[in-house]
Formats: sequence, C-alpha cells, structure tokens
Amino acid sequence: MDWQVNCGLHLVIQTSSLPEKNKVEFKLHKETPSFPGRLLQHDLERNYSSRQGDHINLVSSSMPSFPILQRSSEEKILYSDRLTLERQKLTVCPIIDGEEHLRLLNFQHNFITRIQNISNLQRLIFLDLYDNQIEEISGLSTLRSLRVLLLGKNRIKKISNLENLKSLDVLDLHGNQISKIENVSHLCDLRVLNLARNLLSHVDNLNGLDSLTELNLRHNQITFVRDVDNLPCLQRLFLSFNNISTFESVCCLADSTSLSDITFDGNPIAQESWYKHTILQNMMQLRQLDMKRITEEERRMASVIAKKEEEKKRESQKQSLLKEKKRLTINNVARKWDLQQHRVTSIAANQDRKDSDSPSQDPGQVDGSTISAFPEETGSLDSALGNALQGLSVTDTHLVEVDGDTLSLYGSGALESLDRNWSVQTAGMVTTVSFTFIEFDEIVQVLPKLKIKFPNSLHLKFKETNLVMLQQFNALAQLRRIDQLTIDPQGNPVVSFTLWKYYVLFRLSHFSMQKINGTEVTQNDMIMAERLFGILAHVASSELPQYRLISILGDARKKQFRYLLETKGKKPGIVSEENNDSKRLVGENTNRATLNYTTRDFYNEKLEEIKEKKKFCKMYIEDLVKEATEINMKNEALQKLWPQMFIELVRDAVIEIRNKSSYMKLCLQQITDQK
Amino acid sequence: MATERAGTWLPEAGKLELGSCCGPRMLSPERLALTDYEYLAQRHVLTYMEDAVCQLLENKEDISQYGIARFFTEYFNSVCQGTHVLFREFSFIQATPHNRASFLRAFWRCFRTVGKNGDLLTMKEYHCLLQLLCPDFPLELTQKAARIVLMDDAMDCLMSFSDFLFAFQIQFYYSEFLESVAAIYQDLLSGKNPNTVIVPTSSSGQHRQRPALGEASMLEGVEASLFYQCLENLCDRHKYSCPPPALVKEVLSNVQRLTFYGFLVALSKHHGINQALGALPDKGDLMHDPAMDEELERLVVRSRLHRTSRQHRAQEPGTFGFHRRDKLEALERVPSASAPTPSPYRWEPRE
Repeated sequence: MDWQVNCGLHLVIQTSSLPEKNKVEFKLHKETPSFPGRLLQHDLERNYSSRQGDHINLVSSSMPSFPILQRSSEEKILYSDRLTLERQKLTVCPIIDGEEHLRLLNFQHNFITRIQNISNLQRLIFLDLYDNQIEEISGLSTLRSLRVLLLGKNRIKKISNLENLKSLDVLDLHGNQISKIENVSHLCDLRVLNLARNLLSHVDNLNGLDSLTELNLRHNQITFVRDVDNLPCLQRLFLSFNNISTFESVCCLADSTSLSDITFDGNPIAQESWYKHTILQNMMQLRQLDMKRITEEERRMASVIAKKEEEKKRESQKQSLLKEKKRLTINNVARKWDLQQHRVTSIAANQDRKDSDSPSQDPGQVDGSTISAFPEETGSLDSALGNALQGLSVTDTHLVEVDGDTLSLYGSGALESLDRNWSVQTAGMVTTVSFTFIEFDEIVQVLPKLKIKFPNSLHLKFKETNLVMLQQFNALAQLRRIDQLTIDPQGNPVVSFTLWKYYVLFRLSHFSMQKINGTEVTQNDMIMAERLFGILAHVASSELPQYRLISILGDARKKQFRYLLETKGKKPGIVSEENNDSKRLVGENTNRATLNYTTRDFYNEKLEEIKEKKKFCKMYIEDLVKEATEINMKNEALQKLWPQMFIELVRDAVIEIRNKSSYMKLCLQQITDQK
Repeated sequence: MATERAGTWLPEAGKLELGSCCGPRMLSPERLALTDYEYLAQRHVLTYMEDAVCQLLENKEDISQYGIARFFTEYFNSVCQGTHVLFREFSFIQATPHNRASFLRAFWRCFRTVGKNGDLLTMKEYHCLLQLLCPDFPLELTQKAARIVLMDDAMDCLMSFSDFLFAFQIQFYYSEFLESVAAIYQDLLSGKNPNTVIVPTSSSGQHRQRPALGEASMLEGVEASLFYQCLENLCDRHKYSCPPPALVKEVLSNVQRLTFYGFLVALSKHHGINQALGALPDKGDLMHDPAMDEELERLVVRSRLHRTSRQHRAQEPGTFGFHRRDKLEALERVPSASAPTPSPYRWEPRE
C-alpha cells in the first residue's frame, strides 16, 4: 500500500467544526508530482521521497530507556499539528512531551517493536508506523480520534486491540503475518482496509463493516470468499494473486450490488476458459475487471457464451440423466432377475427334496420384492434423443437399446419390442443381438420373430439367461444363420461344462460358425464335435422308428404352423418366403433335426396332454383286452363242449331218421301243412 | 386283433425280461394261476399296447397315410430293438425293465464317444447328456448315481464315463429295489429285526441312507450274512426287478460287514450283474463298438467334406497330420460301412 502522507500531503481535518459523522478528507499537496487516482493502488512499491521537513532533536530522557523528544518552538509553530520521525533508527517510541495537540504522527522506517508512549496524544488522527518491527497492535486504546492507522510492513500476527478506535477510516495492515480476519466488526466507519501480503487462507467475518468501500486482499493464499455480500458500500475488491480456482468459492460476490471493480489476476480461476464470461455473466454490476473497463461488446459476448454453455450443460445433463436412467433400469432389472432366480432355485430345491430340512424361502419376501423404485416411464422407441443413443426406451422393468449394430435387450419385457415396427434401416443394421436378464426359454419363443425382424443378426450374446442344458442350444438351430455365439458364464451354468462348445458346434454345424465366445472355431473343433456327438445324430435319425420321426418333426412343424397362423394376416409375403426357408433348412439338416428343444412350459403342457391320452388308452386297452380274454374264455369253453355237443347232435339226427317211412310221412305232412 | 399281435410278440418279450429274476416263465405253474389279463399286465404287454395306441392317437393323420398295420409292425419292432425309448418322456422310459435296459443301452451307444475321448465330467454334465435323450429325466436319479461313484466326495467332482455308467445302471435299473434295500439297511443299523418290518415306500430310506456317524465308527455298516438273509427275503417278494439272488450272495459273501454304499459300489462293479442285466457290454469292452465306429468315421469324413466345400477354406496339410491316417482308413472302410449290417441294433442278453 502506498500511503503517501509525507510532507506532500496536506491533511485538513475538520472534526471540530463538523458533526460526528464527518469524514476525514485528504487533500493532496500541490507539490506531490503524481498521486494515483485510487488510494490503495500499489502494495509495496513505495515511491518514497525523502523530503525531510522536520528538524528534531532527540534528547536522552530522564528515564533510562526512552528518549524524550523536544522540538524548537519555531517548529512547533510551523508544524503545530504534525510530527515526522522518519528514518530515525528509533527502536522505541520516544516520549513526546508537550505536544498534546498533535494530529499527525509519522514513525515510518524505524525499528520500533512496540507502540508506546503515545497514549497522551489523544487528538491524534493520523498515525503512521509503516516499516517497523511491531509484533502486536497495542497502546492505542486512548486514541479515540484516530482515523488513519498505518501499520504496513510490520510483524503483526493478529488483528486485535482496536476496540476503542471507532472512528477509524483507513486501516492498513499490509505486509504482516495475519492469517485471519477478526475483531473488526465494530469498525462501522472504516472505508479502506488493506490486508495485502498476509497469510489469509480465506475471507469471512466481514459483518459490521458497513462503510467499507475498498478491500485489498492481494497476495494472500485465499481459496474462498464469504460475507462480501454483507458489505453494502464495497466498491473495489482486490483479490489478485490468491488461490481461487472456482467461481463457486467466490459466488457471494455475485450477490453484492455495490461492487464495481474487482481483480482476480494471478489466481487459477483466471486461467480458465470460462473465467471472463462467467464473471461477467454473474456480476452484471461490474464496471472493471482486472483493471480493465468492461465494454458492452464484452458483456454481450459473455452472455452469448454463457447461453451456449448453459445449453451444452443441459444437453450433457440430459445425456447423463439418460445414462443414469439406463443404469438404474439395468440395476432394477438385475435385481428382479436375481429375486426371480432365487425363487426359481428355491422352488427347484424344494421339488428336489420335498422332505428336506432346508429352510424354505419365505414367500412374502419374494412376492413383496416387486416394488419398483422408479416411476413407470415409457419412452418412445424412435424418439430423437441424440445421435449417440439411437432409440432408447426406458421403463423400470426392461430396457431396449439400439447402439450402432447392436440390439441389447434387458429383462423379459424387452422381448415385446420385437413386435414393434422397426424401421427397415435400423433392423437391417443390427447384426448383434444381446440378451441379458431374460430366461432362455422366453427367448426361444421369440426366435422366429427375431429371424424375421432382424434378418442380418449374426452374432448372438447371452448373459444371465439361465442356459443350463446342452439341449437348449437345439433351439438356436431354427435361426437363419449365426456366425458368432457369445455365452457369458454369468448366469449361464452350461458354460462350465466341458462339452458345451462341441455340442454347439455339432448341433449348429449347418451355420458353419466362426467364433464361439470370441474364440475362432477351427476345423479340429468341428471334427471333435462330430466325433463326440455324431453317433447321437446318427442314432437319432436312422434308428428312430418312423412314427417317432413324424411325431418329433411334427412338433416342430406344428409349432411353426402355429406361428405362421399368428402372423399370416400381417405379411403374407414374408411368411411364404419364411416357409420355403425353413423347409430348406430342415432338408439340409435332417440327421439332427430330431434334436430339438421344447421349452419347459411347453414340454410340461405336452406331458399333461400325454397323460390325458394315456388315461384314455389305458381304459381303452383295458376294455379291449378284457373283452378279448372273455371271448377267449368262451371260446375255450366252447371248444371243450363242442365234441360232446357234436356227438349228441349227430345222435339226435340219427334217431330221428332211423324209421325211414315214418320220417318221410312226417316230412310230407310238414310240406302240406305249409301250403 | 390286438391280442393276436401281442401273442406273436410274447416269446420275444419273455427273453427280454431276463432282468426280472422272479418273473414266472411261460407255462410255469404260476402262469396258469394268473388270469390272461393279469398275465399280460405283469409281462408289461399292456404297457406297450397302451403306448402303441397312444402313439397312434398322437399322429393319427400321418400314420393313417402309411397304414395302421405298418405302424404297429414298426412300433413293436422298435420295442424289440430298444429304439422305442429314444427322446421319450421319463414316465415311459422307466415303465418297464425292458425300457430301462433299452435306455441304458441307448445312452451307452450315443455317448460312448465321450468316454472314449477321455473326458471326465461332472454329475450335472452327465445329467445334461441324459436329458438329450430324455428331456425330463429327473436330476435326483443322476445325483444318486453320482453318489455311488463319489461316495463322500463333493458332488461337483469329475467322474469317468465308465464309473458313472455302471453306477447309473444299478441306480436306474434297480431303483425301487435299492430303495427297499436302503430301508432294510437302515433298520439293521438301528437294530430292528427287518424281517418283520419291510414296508418299502417311495420316500423311505431316501434320506436316512447315511448312518449317524460317531457311535458306529468302530463297526461301520451291517453284518453281511444277516443283510443277505433280508435281501433274499426281499427278492422273493419284490414285484420290481431285483439282481439275481445268487449274485447278491456272491457279492455279500466276500466281506464280513459292509455299508450301504459299499454294497452299491460292489453291485455296480460286478460283472455278473451287468451281464444278467444285459444292457451294457463288459467293462473291458465298454469303448468297443466297431459298427458304430465305422459309421462315425463315415460321418466325420462327410462333415469335413461338407465344411470344406462350404467354406473353401485352405487347410494346411500339416495341421491335421494325426487325423490323416484315420481319414484314409475311414475312406477304405466306407463301402463296408454302407453295406447292410445284420441288424446292428438288436442285441441279445448274455448268458
């Protein structure tokens, strides 16, 4: 701080003639060549002019340590209200006698360590102790008139003992070791406070400084600023060369209505690209930033940039919101899946050993689990939400996502999306279909749809789909083509089997697959697959009696037929093409076509059907066999009786015709009777 | 008509029914004591007749096209050949001893190659293989079979094909018998006189198989001779298939005491019982099935040609060096393999 109060400054003090609240006015001496327009412009660059106006005699006092000051009467008359003791190599304050009328006292550039011996100067208005070695503010309690106190370049660690200086107008504490702003709230008349080059780490405790217009805080280590909005008159705030890195840490500045001039240069924040326009946008009241006048053009630019930023932010927020939503949905689906799996396994366990002592799953816990934490929200499939995520549909139970060439389905509800009208372009682009958190058995049911809707899908991915049996792979044989298959071990126990890859290769050999779980399929693999399972196919095709062949293939055909019936009304063209296609496929692969997969539910349904039929057949056969055995019994009885009966019959006949004439007569009699 | 058809088939069925040791022979006094209906039921003829009609109903449109007579011929032929159980539901597969033997044989034939390849598999994987032939095959049976092999080891241990197959054979074929045995064993362990209390029910013994270890650690298991007496008694009265009592005696005469699982292991490793059952070859010949091997070579060659013709992939000749010999061999064999072999799937039970 540059507080030039040497002889160049003519201090006019009018306290006596003016009411209490009068301000001290500093007027410049005409001789002062160039005094900066603002007071607290420079910190230390002190342009010291060594004009010595006082002639002072320091005489050893009667007291042992303090010198006693005496001035000549001429001087007293000439400079009745001021005393300058600059560069006098003083180590203590001298005792100043008979100068009670002094208004201005200057001790600049001495070696004073303690403020002493001035308590009698009660009319003192201006006290300059710049560049001394004072460690503590003290000895000022009687100087109630003091308006300007300059303590720059000392060794003060703490702001204290200013309680009685209620009229203080200027307080300069620059170049000390102060780490905290405190004990100033009573200084309601203070206009200028200089705390530059101290050890402040933050700014607060500024309440009560109702007249403060200028606050210098340059060259500290300040990281954040508070309370500035409580300074109603603050116009100039200097925060250059501190450690402020975000606007948030100084955001209270935006609430100050009086602030017109501010500096941030030398802070990390000033390096940011957004610095200028953020400050300008948030502090419309500013007229100068970093010592430069703010132009209208700059302000306009700032508002434009700010608007853009805002938009960008909103967009990215939207994106992150979507991402978050996706994450939450997937989590939700995963949770449901886990619960479902848990339930399924617990049921299975119960079925496996009904009388086992394993603790049965609390059904209430499972049923109550479907509480959804998220509101039902169904986005439209083709909503234009941006280029990155094309067609994102979010609900709380499932998720469908098309990202480039990959269609990802999470949760069983997502399978319904295959019914939607996908654009030809989107559908054609999809080459990878990934299923997560969906029962494989449910996937099997939509495979025919998948085949039609996404004809180019070559790579299927399964994760958490409950693939547990080799048999289940049979279901994939009905697709048009698969180049790659990825079965994540997570939630697919089948992957732990030694033979699963070979079985896949064997059963889906007509696809000539390239990769399974990312590993290239070699000719050796194919041969091994054939060696392991070739006999199964051979037995299945050549040894199966024809009626069974019809029955097994018939099921598959029936299923297809059922599906065709369902879709017939909609797109007859595709259906017929589909029909041909499937026929061709079946023909190509007859020897393994009998190895098909029916889903659990469908199979159980079939078993029920069979049970019914069996019941009927049993009754039918029982009746039939009983009837047959009865006939057989009668037949046997008849066979037993027959020889005897025959003999008896013959004997009766012989007896009847033994008397020829009487028999003839009898016969004739019968004939005539008939007529 | 149905009775006549069944009549012509009966002698054949009689031969196939070797497993049921106490079954009455044709024209034996017991046979005359039964009514016709009872006899047919006991010999499972009714089962097959019912199933035939059921199958007919299932596909009546298709079958009526190629002839009802033809269907019945085929049906009973396939029963004789043992191919009637392929891909059928479990309730049918376990319905008769013949079906069980047929299933065992089918399993062996289809997956012999897995054993030949030397793969050791877990219980679950064997179960998957079983399910390839019978989609609703219950896990419980596979687990029990694995228990015979693994004894006290963890259930996810690996097993060799032959170990599993022979244990599975005993468990599957003599399932009901073993449950009764378990009940008897349990009674003996707890000191009851089993001769008075044998009431085998489906659930008994299932969860009591393991004796409470600790107090019986000194003398594990039960006394063999007493055990045999009870089993003999059981075989006499048991309506399901039992192993021949003479062979059971042989198994039990070698030891003083034995545990339940010790008994099962001994049964599963006994040649005589395997032969009496007649579904599988001897352990030494388990990997031996030349007719099928020829067929397989033919299939491998075909699939290789198929793939290469499809993909036009240039294969390095060195890569499959060790397969080359096979290929040549297979090619030489192809004509003989395609020649009709005398009923390759008919098998005769061993003496």
